Amino acid sequence: MARVELKMPELGNEITEAQIDALLKEVGDRVSEGEEIITITTPKVTMDLEAPASGTVVEVFVEEDEIVAVGAVLAVIEA
Amino acid sequence: MRGPGALIEALRQMTVIRAFENGIASLKSKGGYGDIAYAYRGPAHLSIGQEAAAVGAAMALTPEDHIFGSHRSHGEFLAKGLSAIQNLGDNALNTVMESHGGGVLLRAVETRLPAENARGLAENFLLMGLLSEIFMRETGFNGGMGGSMHAFFTPFGAYPNNAIVGASAGIATGAGLWMKSQGRDSIAVSMTGDGSTGCGPVWEALNFAGMAQFERLWESRGFLPVLFFFTNNFYAMGGQTGGETMAWDRLARIGAGLRDDACHAETVDGTNPLAVADAVQRKRRLLLDGRGPAILDVECYRFSGHSTTDVNAYRTKDEIAAWDAIDPIRSYRDSLVTEGILDGAAADAIQTEVDTRMKAVFAAAADPEAAPPVRLGDDGARVGGKMFADSETPPDGGPPEPLADPGKVARIRQNAKKSRGGRDADGEPLSPLRAITLRDGLFEAVLSALLSDPRIMIYGEECREWGGAFGVYRGLSELFPHDRVFNAPISEAAIVATAVGASMEGGRPVIELMYADFIGRAGDELFNQLAKWRAMSNGSLSVPVVVRCSVGSRYGAQHSQDWSGLAAHVPGLKVIYPATPYDAKGLMASALASDDPVIVFESQRLYDQVELFRDAVPNGDYRIPIGAPDIKRVGGDVTVLTVGPALYPALEAARSLETRGVSLEVIDARSLVPFDYGPVLDSVSKTGRLLLVSEACERGGFTMTLSSNITRFAFDALKVPPRTLGSPNWIVPGADLEYGYFPQSPDIEDVILTDLMGDTGHSRKGARRWDDLALARSGL
Ligand SMILES: Cc1ncc(C[n+]2csc(CCOP(=O)(O)OP(=O)(O)O)c2C)c(N)n1
Ligand SMILES: [Mg+2]
Repeated sequence: MARVELKMPELGNEITEAQIDALLKEVGDRVSEGEEIITITTPKVTMDLEAPASGTVVEVFVEEDEIVAVGAVLAVIEA
Repeated sequence: MRGPGALIEALRQMTVIRAFENGIASLKSKGGYGDIAYAYRGPAHLSIGQEAAAVGAAMALTPEDHIFGSHRSHGEFLAKGLSAIQNLGDNALNTVMESHGGGVLLRAVETRLPAENARGLAENFLLMGLLSEIFMRETGFNGGMGGSMHAFFTPFGAYPNNAIVGASAGIATGAGLWMKSQGRDSIAVSMTGDGSTGCGPVWEALNFAGMAQFERLWESRGFLPVLFFFTNNFYAMGGQTGGETMAWDRLARIGAGLRDDACHAETVDGTNPLAVADAVQRKRRLLLDGRGPAILDVECYRFSGHSTTDVNAYRTKDEIAAWDAIDPIRSYRDSLVTEGILDGAAADAIQTEVDTRMKAVFAAAADPEAAPPVRLGDDGARVGGKMFADSETPPDGGPPEPLADPGKVARIRQNAKKSRGGRDADGEPLSPLRAITLRDGLFEAVLSALLSDPRIMIYGEECREWGGAFGVYRGLSELFPHDRVFNAPISEAAIVATAVGASMEGGRPVIELMYADFIGRAGDELFNQLAKWRAMSNGSLSVPVVVRCSVGSRYGAQHSQDWSGLAAHVPGLKVIYPATPYDAKGLMASALASDDPVIVFESQRLYDQVELFRDAVPNGDYRIPIGAPDIKRVGGDVTVLTVGPALYPALEAARSLETRGVSLEVIDARSLVPFDYGPVLDSVSKTGRLLLVSEACERGGFTMTLSSNITRFAFDALKVPPRTLGSPNWIVPGADLEYGYFPQSPDIEDVILTDLMGDTGHSRKGARRWDDLALARSGL
């Protein structure tokens, strides 16, 4: 079983952090690759982050409203 | 009107137009007409020979259809007016005449040009209103503020004629946009010449009117009801279009490049009023069915020169003679006689009646008693007082419900969680993710207007899902359908021109130009159209458009210029440049409510700015009056007046200089036009020293104007001459060099200590150690 990390993506032009708007999945949920699991927001956009692989969500490191740096690990999926 | 009467009326109308323009030609060439001596000094772009095109078009239109003409539109104007007079009842005509300009024109007509019935009086009213407008008299339709090339009268459906070739295409398209959005049963007609097919803005308008979204994405299916009526007289001034200056071989073929239905383009015999009427009637039906836009290529010929300075060097006598052989009026009259509809004597009687009427009209319009010349007055208010409405007109009713519950929209939910103030408990600035930003302030004002005022229509490039290039509108596409918020093509000229047209029809467009640097693409539309129609209409038209443009940073020479000074330079535009969330929301609310055009400059560097001056940005609606500068920091030694983002380095300099015992009073201009000098003069009378800071190039900049005026108004209070600090007269260099371009706080400190405080021992900390005089000499 491989552990696949979901990270806060690069958001372009000098954006260094973003806020967690909503957690769409919780630990134990099964997800398939491409399924939306976390909604994030920056001052300019709101976007859904997709599961990088199919499997089970085994860890979520962030909470709603938390501000997180670009590159930080947000969740782990066991694929 | 139908039947033989209508056919004869068409001849009569063409005869009226020809006589009217012959009269003007005579004034220009002979200094008089008949026994009336009058030296008319203005322009005369006559359409002698083109009468059939004008009358044919107007025959097929209703008073609710609106035409937008050109520099050569006396004929089109008269034809539209004469057609409206035939269509409107006596009561309507009397009301129209009575309510225009407080009855000044009507009184003159009743006294000098009485008639037996309302129609006759209305016709004299039309002729006198136009001719005295051409003479720029008080009795003119635009109170003398328009003149020959700009005369119009909206109650007859004759909207502004335009001296800028092709400008009417975009404005008519905007009128069509508003007609469509309101579900009106009418069309807008752009009446421009063949030469205008060489104008970029005309192509932008053609594309705009046929945008696929009108059919595919708007709830009310159907394209804009705009007829592009090209009066094709084969020439611009002296250049021939077909065969010389244009790539097309036949004007009508331009439609093929736009849409698969080729915009229903057709070439029409413009020497025959019935052929033109038939074509316009057919196109009108298509347009009302939502199948527009349509193009007509109406071939005709002007016998008169382009203007009275034309010596006809570009065309031969043979050519003119060949067209003269098919003179539209003579040909049409002959055909009526041949068909037994009119006999020769009746035709002559028409000519005699028209000539007599025209002599009387010219005599009245030339007479200063009947048609008083415009007097400036001691206060200049006769013209100056027409520049701005300085008013607000609330909407009649509310808009339809939004598509969703605003509280459920992610953006609005997120904003609800944010702090309304910009500082944490320790007084430190909050992250823009945690506090209301300038971007949010603009959003809240716009959202509130969209929810309460059905006239508000938002568009620009990438305004829907993208939320505008910088996310100001993020969330709006979830709440509003396309007729309230839509994506425009990359057509800055059409974006502004359509907003002008839509606003003339009662709309309140809020348009976004992604970067201020793109103003150049909409130069005419902003500076000649948006800025001027209020005054050129003598205050009868309002153009309440809000133009938002961002001022960039880090993107180099074509994406980082503060051009607020350009907008401020042109009379007729209100200009604001807010620098805080509180100011942005309150000023935007005032702009949205204003009956005047307002240009809003927004610094991209400040979109994430949180509120540092007020405890909180109010949740609800509030207003900041346009024109009121704001004291952001109180001090005693030097007044620093800033424009836009220059506020922040000025405050940084103030904090640094405080440690050296120099106290700055920092005033944020917030608005450029209008501008209340009061608070600045009060401050200068206290400090005696003034520095003006902005990010615009210094030369010809707005701070130079402020500086010069303040020197004049507060000369006695000044201890030293004021200083301005702007950007050097260079291109904006790349991101890494911006520190040496936009004024920074060390530069501000340097200028204050050296030039204003006279500290000769100060060693400069900023990047600007250059020799200002040497730079100025070499134009840098
Ligand atoms: C933008 C612009 N460029 C140039 C002119 C000067 N100008 C006035 S009329 C004209 C010719 C226009 O030709 P066309 O559109 O065919 O109209 P016509 O004069 O034949 O009625 C020109 C070049 C102008 N008024 N506006
Ligand atoms: Mg022409």
